[in-house]
Amino acid sequence: MNEVTVIIIDAAIKAAVMALVLLTGFAYMTYAERKVIAGIQVRRGPNRIGPLGLLQPAADGVKLFLKEDMMPTGADKLMFNLAPIITSIPALVIMAVIPVAPDWIVNGYTVRFVVADLNVGVLYLLAIGSIAVYGIVLAGWASDSKYSMMGGLRSTAQVISYELAFGLSMVGPMLLAQSMSLRDIVHAQEARGIWFMFLQPIGFLLFFITGLAELNRAPFDMPEAEQELTAGYFTEYSSMRFGMFFMAEYIKMIAVSGMVVTLYMGGYLGPFVNQFPPLGIAYFSAKVFFLLFTMIWIRGTLPRLRYDQLMSFGWKFALPVAMLNVLATAIVLVYVM
Amino acid sequence: MVAPSKPITQDLTERFPGAVSKDTRPGYEGYIVSANKLTEVATAIRDEYGYEYLASVTGVDYIADGKLEVVYHASKMSGGASLNFKVQAPRDGEPEIPSLVGVWQGADFQEREVYDLYGLRFSGHPDLRRILMWEEFEGWPMRKDWKEVYYEQDAKPFKTRWPEGSVYRIEEKNRFNKNVRYPKGFDPRSFKSDGDEKLYALMRGEHLPEHQRINTDEIIVNMGPQHPSTHGVFRVVVKLDGESVVDLKPVMGYLHRNHEKIGERNTWLMNMPYTDRLDYLSGMGNNHGYALAVEKLIGSKVPERAEYLRVLMVELNRIANHLWAIGFLINDLGAFQTPMLYLAKQRELILDIFEATAGSRMMCNYMRFGGVVRDLPSRIRDEDTLDFITDLVAERLPAALDEIETLLTFNEIIRTRSIGVGVLPAKQAINGSAAGPLLRASGVPYDLRRADPYSIYDRLDFKVCTRPNGDVYDRYLVRIDEMRESIKILKQVLRDMPASGAIMDGESKYTHKVPNGESYGRVENPKGELGYYVVSNGAPNPYRYHVRAPSFINLTMLGDLCKGHKVADIVVILGSIDIVLGEVDR
Repeated sequence: MNEVTVIIIDAAIKAAVMALVLLTGFAYMTYAERKVIAGIQVRRGPNRIGPLGLLQPAADGVKLFLKEDMMPTGADKLMFNLAPIITSIPALVIMAVIPVAPDWIVNGYTVRFVVADLNVGVLYLLAIGSIAVYGIVLAGWASDSKYSMMGGLRSTAQVISYELAFGLSMVGPMLLAQSMSLRDIVHAQEARGIWFMFLQPIGFLLFFITGLAELNRAPFDMPEAEQELTAGYFTEYSSMRFGMFFMAEYIKMIAVSGMVVTLYMGGYLGPFVNQFPPLGIAYFSAKVFFLLFTMIWIRGTLPRLRYDQLMSFGWKFALPVAMLNVLATAIVLVYVM
Repeated sequence: MVAPSKPITQDLTERFPGAVSKDTRPGYEGYIVSANKLTEVATAIRDEYGYEYLASVTGVDYIADGKLEVVYHASKMSGGASLNFKVQAPRDGEPEIPSLVGVWQGADFQEREVYDLYGLRFSGHPDLRRILMWEEFEGWPMRKDWKEVYYEQDAKPFKTRWPEGSVYRIEEKNRFNKNVRYPKGFDPRSFKSDGDEKLYALMRGEHLPEHQRINTDEIIVNMGPQHPSTHGVFRVVVKLDGESVVDLKPVMGYLHRNHEKIGERNTWLMNMPYTDRLDYLSGMGNNHGYALAVEKLIGSKVPERAEYLRVLMVELNRIANHLWAIGFLINDLGAFQTPMLYLAKQRELILDIFEATAGSRMMCNYMRFGGVVRDLPSRIRDEDTLDFITDLVAERLPAALDEIETLLTFNEIIRTRSIGVGVLPAKQAINGSAAGPLLRASGVPYDLRRADPYSIYDRLDFKVCTRPNGDVYDRYLVRIDEMRESIKILKQVLRDMPASGAIMDGESKYTHKVPNGESYGRVENPKGELGYYVVSNGAPNPYRYHVRAPSFINLTMLGDLCKGHKVADIVVILGSIDIVLGEVDR
């Protein structure tokens, strides 16, 4: 076997595993969300299908597949079909650059626990993350429905506004690590012996909050505000096409949690991770679970902001603070350290 | 409203000689105003006599006299009995009387309702369309000569199902085939409704002159009747400029079942369970209002213990209703059900009391003319009844309210989303006949339990809660305050209630001999003034049975409240008004 084949097979295996993990993760995220929120609301949540309701996601999947797939008469057919795909593909590939454990040398062969170690990983995250919004806008436009349209427009405005603060709050770790590769950022946190969330508390909070806004999660779930827009941009979607939007949303939750963990919470770092690298996967997952739980918790607790309040928060607060944070970090790095 | 320089004691008949006369029919009271002087008299009643609040407008069809009558009830904000004045019009031809929307904004929907159900036109009404029935409906359903197909004797198809042994379905021969009567030359297959088109044209401003119509990117959106947060099959047509509301018109009637027509077919007592279905979240209060109206006519005296039981149930009901209202309001603010479920926990316990006492959790059917139907049971949920209620009132409910206050009242998001949203100024609230928490949140201390005390409220110590700002947040706070006051009332009731005694005035009976006359019974329901206007002609069933539904009339101002706010606020403002569609559409 020549080297190229090895690389291709290696990447294919890792990509397959990643996709599988994410899809299963999505299924159980829906379950976890329902269970956690049920707990918050003094209910029991799903408990009928399988032990503790653990087969509920499977039943939901079957249900989604068997539902009638409807399309509004006035819809733009091509775009209507394309939109869920455009939304879900980036969600799946975004995790490709995130390392989940340190390198592991087995029988002289180095296993890298990352699908592709890009030297511009941070840029990749931003670029791919923004593609998903096209799906949302197209879905809103192609549905030929006013609710969808408004959901789509809100979403565009929201994502564009928060993209700036979101991107700027990635700059802190980049400056500290002096690299855009996510592996280097994790290494930098290891070398400094401290997670960047403690060096960059403002950046960390901003990143998490704007991340929620990027995800359209509560309390920023404007585009799909149930109370006003029934379901926002996917009002007209049903069956598996709806399922794909649903999937994209949950996988993006996992992806954004993964980004926060990598940039600010030391990625896979933890005790004995260098002695036995696969342990990193456990540390990484634990941190991701913690963040996912926090997101669900927020959804179960807080009401929604209004659209104009959201915008003014994004432009008048998040963006200036993020810029000042970058500026301060740069000044400290250059003149103080 | 201009305050009169000196209190007018002059009688209306002297003030307007010739135009106003006393209503002298036996059992009737108030004045009869001639139609051409109506606006002038109404303005005087409002400004000079101080009856600033138009509580109720309704029609009555006196078919034997060939007259349609419109009955108005106006109240003083300082309290006291309401003033009742009437206008009569011939029922043939196209009867028309002047509209009072210019005097009282609150007449808007109510006049539309009278027009819709009686075919009486109101000249000068800004938007006289049908409101409960659909635009193409043929006929005026509340008129006495309009027979409801399949239900009223002449229109019943079942008289002779087997004439001379031959079998045919009389429905096929019925001129009301398929329950619909078509006008001449009408073909239902080629018909396309223009009811909505009329409404949209109005929203687009097509009635305005050309130069005032500007074509911008405004869109007209239908919210409802199938929408997750319109609290039922309610529909608002909104004109939007981006996210901002430019104009809004409510559309209702999807749950219309002609409750009043049914009520006029039923015997007096048979209406009692029907009232439960109006505002199905506060059935006890509905029972109470109807019982009061009919008791006024019968003249029965309610025994002491029954009065206490009534107030006990009604106040528990108020708490249950407000818990639900607040839960839904927070839900409309986008909280994912959590606060609602916390509040539902307490509401369940109240419903347990209803279930143990009346037999049903929501459709209680608990009150009768002259008392209540059952005494308290000895045990609720394996606990002594009084212990259970005392524990709930003294411990659990105050704790729950404290919990709401800590978790919600000072929540930053709730405050930013509700403070300054949907402001209703006090003046407009009175003029627009707002009632209940909607009125009191605008700083008007008007509560029928104090203003015109009924039952035993005159001996109970409680405060009329008001808040000054009239926005969504204040409506939320007023509800919390009112629950605290209700707890105070409940404690007094539990303390003073006679341990035993009769719960009915005399024997309980199925049919009541109700003397001729009219009566307006009103209670302060959780949602506002709930009034029942009943007319008896001595028959076993009411001649007229009208419900002054607070949810319905409170919606009059929805358009004004929402203008200039964002789409998301519509839902919140609607939630803060707290409507139940069973009552809006009747």
